[in-house]
Amino acid sequence: MRALDTAATGMAAMDLQVQVIAGNIANMTTTGFKSQRAEFQDLLYEHVQRIGAQASDQGNILPVGIELGSGVKTVGTPRLMTQGSLAQTGNPLDVAIQGTGWFKILMPDGTFSYTRDGSFQMDSQGRVVTAEGNLVQPTITVPQGSTGLTVNQQGQVSVTPTGSTTSSILGQFTLTTFINDAGLQANGSNLFTATPASGTPQDGTPGTNGAGTLLQGSLEQSNVEAVTEISNLIAAQRAYEMNSKVVTAADQMLQTTSQLAR
Amino acid sequence: MENALLVGLSRQMALSHELDIVANNIANLNTTGYKADNTLFAQYLMPDARDDDFAGKDRRISFVTDRASWINFAPGAIQRTGNPLDVAIDGNAYLAVQTPRGVRYTRNGALVTNASGQLVTSEGYPVMGDNGPITFQNTDHNVIISQSGIITVQEGNSIGDSQRGRLQLVSFDQQARLEKDGGSTFLAPPGVNPGPPALGVRVVQGAIEKSNVNPVGEMTRMLQITQSYTDIANVLQQQSDQRKNALNQLSQTPASGSA
Repeated sequence: MRALDTAATGMAAMDLQVQVIAGNIANMTTTGFKSQRAEFQDLLYEHVQRIGAQASDQGNILPVGIELGSGVKTVGTPRLMTQGSLAQTGNPLDVAIQGTGWFKILMPDGTFSYTRDGSFQMDSQGRVVTAEGNLVQPTITVPQGSTGLTVNQQGQVSVTPTGSTTSSILGQFTLTTFINDAGLQANGSNLFTATPASGTPQDGTPGTNGAGTLLQGSLEQSNVEAVTEISNLIAAQRAYEMNSKVVTAADQMLQTTSQLAR
Repeated sequence: MENALLVGLSRQMALSHELDIVANNIANLNTTGYKADNTLFAQYLMPDARDDDFAGKDRRISFVTDRASWINFAPGAIQRTGNPLDVAIDGNAYLAVQTPRGVRYTRNGALVTNASGQLVTSEGYPVMGDNGPITFQNTDHNVIISQSGIITVQEGNSIGDSQRGRLQLVSFDQQARLEKDGGSTFLAPPGVNPGPPALGVRVVQGAIEKSNVNPVGEMTRMLQITQSYTDIANVLQQQSDQRKNALNQLSQTPASGSA
């Protein structure tokens, strides 16, 4: 019975849906996290009776046919690249992006990763690094003893050096934009890498070229919406249950048939 | 005597097909742009016996055949995703997609770009614009898709908008004849021609159309299917018992003239 296999594909798809939702809910408070959504498509169809086939010698054409589908498949788990809400932290090195764009991070292997998580720290040499110690590009080094670190909307970083009363510009945060943010590949630790689907990275100054602006002392919260996730979870769980009911129904019908031959 | 068995079997085969279709609908409860299938059964009348010499008229026997499955083209709910390249179509129209098997039509508007900046479906097939596939430049950003499907972007540092094409939206005069081709796409059989979009069709950016399967309806149908299937099995069983009884009783009647 085909219904058994069809329902099995449905159960597998809903299982994946629940996994995706679980990932989203687990990351509800992860800074700069972008929620995921499972994307499904229907599988091939068997045309038991083809539409448009000859119905009689007189040339009548069947207006409808019999198509039996074989279930569902997962094509992808794209991310929702909407803005997360901003939470104030007061930490001078917490920088949130308002609008599009990504911070560029130099990985230990020399490649670049991109992140929306602007909870930066300073390493022993005064360089601005991520919470994991990877360098933010371009490198900004804060001289020892300087005070009053400010980051303006356009990403200019200025401090007041020791013994001085006026602040001076130290460096500049850049933002990288992509034509298709959803095509970025997630690598964990809030980091993403460019893929052919995301397009070529375009580095630019915050506030120009369509890139967003920066806000010091704030962090971008995850864009997971609890209500949406929970309602999706309920829907996925019920859909899983319904698919299992189809398995039961098909099984029952097979049983009925086998009982006929006593 | 065998007719009841055959009529019952014809119904059971039709029910088994119907369960296959219900299973597919339920499996696609969360498939973007999916359209539910329905079944249509018909009575098949056995031709009369040709001989007119019978005293009583020959009774016609009707069987069940599954006449067709038809697609419910009702719109699905529109869900906001916030992705600039997700489009939902409000109204009776389709996006044209260039696949290796030829042009296919879809209402699944979860679109992405590929390595060369072309606008493609989740499976990587180019989405057709009015003048062929739509291609973005590397420095394009702020993609806006208008209600009529016109795609504008801001290129590089320029403040003005540059147009990247217009989504080809098509409607069909004989929509009911579209065939499903998997991957949430439809195939237009010969004789079914795509035309300009129907009046009032609009593109909604940042949203997708959900499946139009009605779970309650499908569950009810499934219960009916299993119930009917069991009922018919019971009828067949009764027929069989009846025949057994008849044979038993007839065999006990003393044959006349045997003594």
